[in-house]
Amino acid sequence: MATTKKRYALIIDLDRCIGCCGCEVSCKQENGVAVDVVWNKVREEGPHVNADAGRGVEHYFLPTVCQQCDEPQCVKVCPTGASYVREDGTVLVDREICIGCKYCMMACPYGVRSFNREMKVVEKCTLCVQLQAVGEPPACVKNCVAKARFFGDLGDKASEAAKALAAAGEENAHSLPDVGNRPRTRYILHAKTATWRS
Amino acid sequence: MDIEWALVFFTLLTCLSVGVFAGVAASEWKDGAEAVRKSGAFLALAALVAGGLASVLHLGHPERIFGAFGHPTSGIFLEALLMGLFGLGVVLYILALRRKAAAGVRKAIATVGMLPAVCLAFAVGYTYVMPSRPAWDTPMLPFLYLASAFVTGYFAYAVLSAGREGAEGAFIRKVTLNSLILQAVFIAAFVAHLATVAHPDASRSAGRVLAGGLAPLFWLGVVIVGTLIPGWLALRAHRDGRPIPLAGARLGLLCVLAGGVAFRALMFAVGSAVREFF
Repeated sequence: MATTKKRYALIIDLDRCIGCCGCEVSCKQENGVAVDVVWNKVREEGPHVNADAGRGVEHYFLPTVCQQCDEPQCVKVCPTGASYVREDGTVLVDREICIGCKYCMMACPYGVRSFNREMKVVEKCTLCVQLQAVGEPPACVKNCVAKARFFGDLGDKASEAAKALAAAGEENAHSLPDVGNRPRTRYILHAKTATWRS
Repeated sequence: MDIEWALVFFTLLTCLSVGVFAGVAASEWKDGAEAVRKSGAFLALAALVAGGLASVLHLGHPERIFGAFGHPTSGIFLEALLMGLFGLGVVLYILALRRKAAAGVRKAIATVGMLPAVCLAFAVGYTYVMPSRPAWDTPMLPFLYLASAFVTGYFAYAVLSAGREGAEGAFIRKVTLNSLILQAVFIAAFVAHLATVAHPDASRSAGRVLAGGLAPLFWLGVVIVGTLIPGWLALRAHRDGRPIPLAGARLGLLCVLAGGVAFRALMFAVGSAVREFF
C-alpha cells in the first residue's frame, strides 16, 4: 500500500491525561455513536509496582482509539472496499457498502472497531472528518479538558501534532505493538510519570 | 472474541462437503460402489450449499455481497471463488453420473473437482491466519481445517457406504485413520503454538486451554469426542479389515462433527487481538 503524503494522526499526552473520559463523551455526542458502541475508550494502565523507578506504584490512563495505521490490515482484508484510506491518510469505513462481515474487526490488532447492531455495519473513529471540513479539530481534541490531545499532519512540522511530538522527544513518544500495520497514533509518556507498558 | 457460530458452521459444512467429495473421487479411482458415489455427490452438494447459506447468515448486509467481486484479493473473494469452482465440479459430476458418462470422464471430473475442493478446505482456515490475532497466526490452522475435511467427509462416506461398501473400502479406512492422526498432530501443534505465541496473554494461553476455562471444551469436545472415539472406531475397522458398521459410522460422524464444532468454538475463544481494547 502506497504511503500517502499527508499523515493525519492523534498525538495523546499521557502525562497530561486525567482519565475523565470527556473524549469518550464528546465523541459519542459529535458522531451520534450508538449506546452500546464506542469509538474511543479510556483504559487504566496499572497500578503496577515498580520499585526500580523509586516510586513504588505506577499508573496512567490510556485513551484507546483507531490508530490510523500506515499499513491498515483492516483495509487489506475488506472484501468490498468499504474500509479505505482517504487522500489525507485517514482510514475510514463507507457504511453504504459495508457488508458487515467483521473481517476488518478480526484484522485490527487493537480491537478498536465496533459493530453497530442496528445498522449492521462496522464503525470506528473517523477523526471527525465532518469537523475537519469546517476547519475544526476532532471533538475529542477540542473538548479535552487536560489539553492532552493534539491533531494534525505528522508530515507538516508546523502542525500541532508534529510540534507536540517534537517537543516530547522520540524517547518519550510511544506506539502500540506493531505487527506490520505501523500505527500512526503516538502516545507521549515521560519516564518520570510512569513506565510505558502498553 | 465472541464465537461466530455462522462461521463455525460455514467452515464445518464446507469441510464436510470437501471430504465427502474426496470419498467420491477415491471411489472412482478404486472402482467403488456407484450408488454410494451418487449419494456422496448429492451430500457434498447439499453440505456446500448449507455452508454457503451459513456464511451468508454471518453478514450484516448480504444483499451487498456483489461488491466483493471488485476486490479479488480478499479472503472472502477467494473462498467464494473456490466454492463456485468446487460447486461447479460437483454439479458436473452429478450430471455425468445421470447421463451415464464413461468411467474415464467421471474420473477426470472428480479428480479435477478435487483441486478447488482441497484449496477451499485450506483457504477457509487460511483466512483466519492474521498477525492481529496471535493465536491464529500459525500455518497449523489451514492444515487443521484440511485434515478436518477428510476426517468428517470420510466418516460421512462411511455412513453412506455401510452395508454396501465396494473396493474403495480399505483405502478409505486407511485415509480416515491417517487423517485422524494428522488432525491430532495439528491440534497438538496448535496448542504448542499457544504456549509460545507472540504477545502472550491469558486469553490465548495454553494454560487456559489445557487447565483453565476452556479445558472442558478441549478435553471433552476436541480430544475425547472429536479424536479418541472416532480414532478408536477407525483403528478397529482398519485393524480388522472390515467396514465400520452403520451404528459405528453414525457414532463416528456425530463425534467428528461435534469435535469440529468444539475446535472451531475453541479457536474463536482464544482468538483475541494483540490488544483487545473495546
